Amino acid sequence: MKAQDILSYSFGAIRLRKLRAGLTTLGVVIGIAAIVALLSITQGLQATITRQLQTGFATNTLIVSTGGGFGGGFGLGAEAGGAANSGFKLFVNATQKISNLNNTNVETSMAIIQRAGWVGNATTNRTTTIVGVDFAEYASIYSGTFVAENGTIPLSPENEMIVVGKRVSDPWKNENLFCNVNDNIEIIWTNATTLPPKNEAYTGHVAAVLKEIGGFGVGGPSDSSVYIPISQAQSFFGTEECNTIIVKLKNDDKATIDNVSKAIEEAFSDQVSVTSATAVLNILSSVFSIIQLFLAGIAAISLLVAGIGIMNIMIVSLMERTREIGILKALGMKNQTVLLVFLCESVIIGLIGAAIGIASGWVLANVVAVVFRGGGIFMGNQATNAGGMTITPLLTPTVTILALVFGVGVSAIFALYPAWRASKLKPIEALRYE
Amino acid sequence: MEIPEQVSKKRRLVTSVAIIVEAFNLKKTYLLGKVPVNALRGVNLKVESGDFLAILGPSGSGKSTLLNLIGALDKPTEGKMLIEDVDVSTLNDGQLANLRRRIGFVFQFFNLIPRFTARENVELPMAIAGLSKADRRKRAEDLLETVGLKERINHKPAELSGGEQQRVAIARALANNPKFLVMDEPTGNIDSKTANEILCLIKRLNEDKAVTIIMVTHDQHLAGQSKRIVQMVDGSITKEVVN
Repeated sequence: MKAQDILSYSFGAIRLRKLRAGLTTLGVVIGIAAIVALLSITQGLQATITRQLQTGFATNTLIVSTGGGFGGGFGLGAEAGGAANSGFKLFVNATQKISNLNNTNVETSMAIIQRAGWVGNATTNRTTTIVGVDFAEYASIYSGTFVAENGTIPLSPENEMIVVGKRVSDPWKNENLFCNVNDNIEIIWTNATTLPPKNEAYTGHVAAVLKEIGGFGVGGPSDSSVYIPISQAQSFFGTEECNTIIVKLKNDDKATIDNVSKAIEEAFSDQVSVTSATAVLNILSSVFSIIQLFLAGIAAISLLVAGIGIMNIMIVSLMERTREIGILKALGMKNQTVLLVFLCESVIIGLIGAAIGIASGWVLANVVAVVFRGGGIFMGNQATNAGGMTITPLLTPTVTILALVFGVGVSAIFALYPAWRASKLKPIEALRYE
Repeated sequence: MEIPEQVSKKRRLVTSVAIIVEAFNLKKTYLLGKVPVNALRGVNLKVESGDFLAILGPSGSGKSTLLNLIGALDKPTEGKMLIEDVDVSTLNDGQLANLRRRIGFVFQFFNLIPRFTARENVELPMAIAGLSKADRRKRAEDLLETVGLKERINHKPAELSGGEQQRVAIARALANNPKFLVMDEPTGNIDSKTANEILCLIKRLNEDKAVTIIMVTHDQHLAGQSKRIVQMVDGSITKEVVN
């Protein structure tokens, strides 16, 4: 029997049971749509985050902090460092120790002191992270993100000069500014080292507003932080202790990163943790792989259910058509042709289901992305939040082809048993079947 | 039919001695639950090309079992079933399928595919044999004309009377130029007037087109129209009559 005749025979059988075939197809559609939607959203999310990290996150830097891992490096730990872990403290002058290493791979290093605090204008206070940095060094290390949109970043700043992130200046994303260049705003933090804790404040002068960085300022500049000169931070916070030290390397080769990391750890007697931006990126990407696998696994369950549905319908179809199979065999149809006819029916269902599933999964992903974007604006109202993130769902050809293969494959595999049973029917018994 | 009258008559003369079906001591035992049933108890039979054989017997006499063996739908428990000198028992599933393409089946309950039109039903065995769409279309139309259903080509079985459905089934049986037709109670499920028309058609195919016919029936009158009758009782041939 010619392939096209098998195909049209199978197609005719499907058309005879439109509703049933439609519902079976729906099962495949849902399974594939779930997989495609979840994968294209997570892939889009990963691409967005990786892109933002790479801009905000100079890959040729190391983050030196006390104790626990890269937590301090994220700039999220607003509380004073990880000093509690071992009692070991990292001081601003530790940069001297790093330059004393005379490691040729080290270009420069700088200390960061940061505290949770507030900024206040005439009408309101907003929470923020106050970050003390050397403006010149910071600008050279994060040349892509520590960049002024308005005003100029002073390279040898006066004490009261500050640089604010985009979301500090424009927290509502509506040009209704909290502060602008040349404004004076209050810088406030709660000094908990005294009893009772008391708020301390001074008036800062906004020298520059950074251009928008995006969601995360991991390790590097962030949209929602306020930057003050390191010397000012030392006196304002009354400490020499710093949270992290950023080390700029000559390049981002693995060998360079490993070499310097080891040297620094040895210099500080293994009491610091050294995290490379590249390592963080790698960790994130492996975390994303796991998340993707997990989500795809959940979606695959729905496809499994669809597969069982296919098997079910094919067995019912086999029962109903036992006599027909008997006729086909009496007319000289070979066993493998009967097998093909049944497999073909299921593959057609799988193919149509997968095609519709991919399309609707893509639509679903975009709908979710739009909803998420709306939520992002809402979240952006909080100055401490990283700000709204734009996810553009990503449907790679690999995912498309995989989804198609998966849909068709599941349909074929689950039809294999019913098709095999159909092919093995004895003609006289099948003909006798009522 | 594609065979012109003269050629077919010539073939009849040349092949009149050719034996196309030959059974030796054919036995078939079924298990009905756990009880073995001897449906055939040693049947010997020869069918020559151009013959019109009626197998006559009451129900349970084993005539349908014999027909299934002749039609290569089943294999004997014992004995030999030769179709054109080939022992059916030695064939595998694929070879059996190929053999069945050259045997025309006509069933009591027509066994047409309900979703297909008359023409598509006649095309089916040719499609299974791998004929091209254009060839089988033309042949299906010719065959339906032969059985007198030219006007009903595009009707589905549900839109046809019993007699018409059986004509379609006969046209379908003839589709692949079979060596012989195997008919199981071809008029068993249609009224007597229509049954007569079907019988005429069968006789005409045998006489004019030299189609070999092996027919199972319990109808004495129908059997009387054939060239030869074998009578079956309890799984054995008890009598043979040449009309």
